[in-house]
Amino acid sequence: MIEGVNARMIRGMDTRYLEQLVDDRPADGVFRVHADVYASSELFELEQKHVFERTWIFLGLESQLPRPNDYLVTWIGRLPVLVTHAADGVRRAFLNVCRHKGTLLCRLESGNSRFHVCPYHGWAYDATGRAVDIKDQASGGYAEAFSGDDHNLVPLGAFAAYKGLLFGSVSADVPPLEDFLGDLKFFLDLAMEQGPQGMEFVPGRIGFTYNGNWKAQLDNSSDAYHLTSTHVSFMEVQRRRADLVSGHQEARQFDWKKRFEQEGGAYTFRNGHNAIWLNQSESSKRPIFSQIAEVRDRVGELKAEWMLRLRNLTVFPSMQIADSTSLLIRTFRPVAVDRTEMRYYCLAPIGEAADVRAWRLRQFEDFFNVSGFATPDDTTMYEDMAVGLKASQIGFVQGYSRGIAVQVSGADALARAAGVAPVSSAHGMFDLQAETWGHALYREWARLMRTGAAGDPAWAHAVGGPR
Amino acid sequence: MIPSAHAVIATRVLQREAALLDERRWDEWIALFAADCEYWVPTWRTEAELTTDPQRELSHIYYASRAGLEDRLVRIRSGRSPATTPLRRTAHCVSNIELTGAGETHLEVRSTFANHVFDPHHRTQIVLFGWSEHRLEYGSAGWLIARRKIVLQNDQLPAMIDIYCL
Repeated sequence: MIEGVNARMIRGMDTRYLEQLVDDRPADGVFRVHADVYASSELFELEQKHVFERTWIFLGLESQLPRPNDYLVTWIGRLPVLVTHAADGVRRAFLNVCRHKGTLLCRLESGNSRFHVCPYHGWAYDATGRAVDIKDQASGGYAEAFSGDDHNLVPLGAFAAYKGLLFGSVSADVPPLEDFLGDLKFFLDLAMEQGPQGMEFVPGRIGFTYNGNWKAQLDNSSDAYHLTSTHVSFMEVQRRRADLVSGHQEARQFDWKKRFEQEGGAYTFRNGHNAIWLNQSESSKRPIFSQIAEVRDRVGELKAEWMLRLRNLTVFPSMQIADSTSLLIRTFRPVAVDRTEMRYYCLAPIGEAADVRAWRLRQFEDFFNVSGFATPDDTTMYEDMAVGLKASQIGFVQGYSRGIAVQVSGADALARAAGVAPVSSAHGMFDLQAETWGHALYREWARLMRTGAAGDPAWAHAVGGPR
Repeated sequence: MIPSAHAVIATRVLQREAALLDERRWDEWIALFAADCEYWVPTWRTEAELTTDPQRELSHIYYASRAGLEDRLVRIRSGRSPATTPLRRTAHCVSNIELTGAGETHLEVRSTFANHVFDPHHRTQIVLFGWSEHRLEYGSAGWLIARRKIVLQNDQLPAMIDIYCL
């Protein structure tokens, strides 16, 4: 237990408790996060309300709904969400819930339908969310008051797209999407501008559930520090593939030894986002490399060069893009404090050449799949963290300390050259393996939890201004 | 009519594959596969549709040769993969073995599997189930697996699966 905190404060989620969970003292070079943040089921309940239902959440790609009447079903935290593409060409997002009795409305993951009819009592909605049929309404003996009620689907508070990425928010009290994303947009562009005709999810998807807290995944995508311990067996496989020219050559993964001689770094951005990068000595081992001349002409030299670097980014709280072997979009959904549902998609340029697409798939499956060589070792660590973090007695975990002494406030030279203004930059050789990316995540987590518990609006602060 | 000798061969190869995985006799297991075998576990693209083209769509595992399976053994034996240590214990149950085609030197076989997997570390257990399509080919090394396609029916997976779970 944190000093001065009593059981009543935890139960009541007194802001004095919440304020102490993230020990953020830049002047002292300290950034620590308390074990309870990952392990407390009381905090988990509050996260659903204060974090997931009060900020922008990634819902899918525009290219998943190309035709009128296409729809897809997804989640914001524990709330079911329906995204539609109506005949008027407008995409919209709603709570995927029938107004009659609150039944889940649309039961398939995706499809094409002019109407969405609730299987329970047959209420029907069109793709604009309008209730077009209350079954047997005329004979229903409804009072006058009923026709005064709004029977339409409940739209999300906010819904917007950036570069083909669809985001929604349950709360209407959010800044415009582009303000929310801020300068992370540069890194989103590096993923979403790779194809001349846009980007799509390759058909097929990977879904799995791990018995651990969602923040284990939130962290791990940015964590370069674990590679040389968690993934040594994959490095051994890679070494054998390179030295003996044996094994799964179709994946054409790059030489990991060379990775460790590269420069890299971590950026933090406003509103919880971060990005890490690493130079790449073997650009030719990137699926996009064969198209790089076209890419360079279209997006310019600077962005093309950045596309060849290894980059992982996190849009707080639950979407990540990893472009570390091939290109991945990962979303995760907290189901319980120690249970998280994952969904992985392979992102690729629309119209990609068949041989490049096949290679992209082999790299993706090799590294990212839960039946692959990297992810299962990560998820096993997340499950072991869930076991260990029940020991609240350890107090604060120490995993956000690397790089504090070398990080600079604002942009480093590389970011300045790209016209990007991060909150902080840390830059060094691979073995720096900075952990400063975590500061963005947990400052935002603490801010949303604190304002939520206090009953204050989440986004009252000027989005463009200092925190 | 398909000669019963073919059914006996198919049953023997499939049951041996299962037993060798359960008993972790990796070298004997991999020796059941032809060097140029195809090993494919497609993903589901929706609730009802499987992916059909591993060159254009995402698979759980796709290997165009035995070399990919050899990597798996390197990892299992490394002792340095947290997901693989301690190794999960398995019981592969193969049933409904049905000959779907036969020639002079090849057999096509469909079978159903329900593989029980116990994780002694987290003390959890799961069942992975579905069906397999095997193509067996006869050559100088006897009957070998030239192709195995595995349709995994329960595809919301646990935090890891590997070839010995399939």
